[in-house]
Amino acid sequence: MHLTDDQLNEYLDNEIADRAHIESHLDSCGECAARLIALQTLFAELDSLPELELTHSLASRITLHATSSPQLPRWLTLTATLQTALALIALIVAAPFVMNLLPAIEMPSFTEFLIQLQSQWITLFTTITNYRVASLWDQLPAFSLPPLQIPTLTLSLALAFASLLWLVGNGLLLRRQIK
Amino acid sequence: MTAPTDRDLIVRARRGDGGAFSELVTRYQTSVFNVCYRILHERGEAEDLAQETFIRAYNRLDQFDLEREFGPWVRRVAANLCLNHLESQKITAPLDEDRDADESVRPEKQVEARERSEQIRVALASLPPNYRVVVELRHYQELSYDEIAAELKIPLSDVKSHLFRARKLLAEKLHAPD
Repeated sequence: MHLTDDQLNEYLDNEIADRAHIESHLDSCGECAARLIALQTLFAELDSLPELELTHSLASRITLHATSSPQLPRWLTLTATLQTALALIALIVAAPFVMNLLPAIEMPSFTEFLIQLQSQWITLFTTITNYRVASLWDQLPAFSLPPLQIPTLTLSLALAFASLLWLVGNGLLLRRQIK
Repeated sequence: MTAPTDRDLIVRARRGDGGAFSELVTRYQTSVFNVCYRILHERGEAEDLAQETFIRAYNRLDQFDLEREFGPWVRRVAANLCLNHLESQKITAPLDEDRDADESVRPEKQVEARERSEQIRVALASLPPNYRVVVELRHYQELSYDEIAAELKIPLSDVKSHLFRARKLLAEKLHAPD
C-alpha cells in the first residue's frame, strides 16, 4: 500500500511523528519516492522565488501617517473615558438643581462682578505683601486671609463652565481614538 | 555605536518617537512588501497593503508583546491583511492581464530564471485567497500547522486541506507537460 499525499506532505513539513515508518516505505517503494521528489521540487521552486525590491521607501509616508495620529497609552484612554462618563453623570444629576437656582438668584452685571473681583484681589494682594517672612511663623495663629465673597451662582456657573471645558478637552483628546 | 534593537525602537515608538518607527519600517518594508506581492501579485496593491500593514502595526504597538520578534509578527499581520483584502474583493478568478509581468530585456539565463519566477508567482496568485495565505505562512513564514491554525483562526484540518490542495494545484500548473 502506497503512502498518502497527506503523509508525504506532513513528512516534508516535519509534522509527522512516525518518520521511520515513512522512510522505510520510501526505501522500498520507487513510486512513493518519485512522488516525494516531485513534492520536494515544488518546495524548492517556492523557496527559490526571489525577493523583490521596493521602488520607493514606505518609511516617510508611514511616519507621516502614524505621527499625525499619536498613540495614547491605554491607561490614559481608559481613565479619560471613565472621567468623561463620571462628569456626564454629575452634570445630569446637577442639572435640575442648577435650573432651580437660576431664577431665584439675582445675577450681578458683568461690570459689577469685575469690580468686586478686582477689589477682592487688591485686598488679598495687599495682605500677602504685608506679611514679613521672618515673623510669619509667630503670626501664624492670627493669620487669616480675607474670605472670598463669590456669589453661589457665579461659583456654580464657573464650575459648570470648567466642567464643560474639561469635557470638550477630553473629547478632543479622544477623538482620534474613538474614530 | 551599535544599532538599536527592534525592541528599543518599539519602546521609543510607543513613546511617540516617529523616527524610531520609521527605522522599523525601513528594516522590514521589503519583507512585508514581498509577503503582499506573493499573495496579491500586483505591485501597486502590494505597496498599498504593505503601507496599511505598518499603519496597523503602529496602532497595535501597545498590544505588542516585547518578548516576540517584530519581523515575523508584522509579516503575519500583512498576510492576514492581504487575505481580508482579497476576500473583500472576492478575487478568485484567474489572473487578468493587468497583473504584473516582467518584460525587461536581460541575458538569457536571467530571463529564464525570471520567467520561471513569474510562472511561480502567477501560479500562486491563481490559487484561492485562503490557499495563498496558508502557503505564504507555511513556506515563507515557516509557521507550523498549529501556528497557522491559530493565526488564521481556522481548524487544523482546514490548514492541512488548504495547504495540500494548494500544493497539488501548484504542481499541476508548474509541472504540467508543455
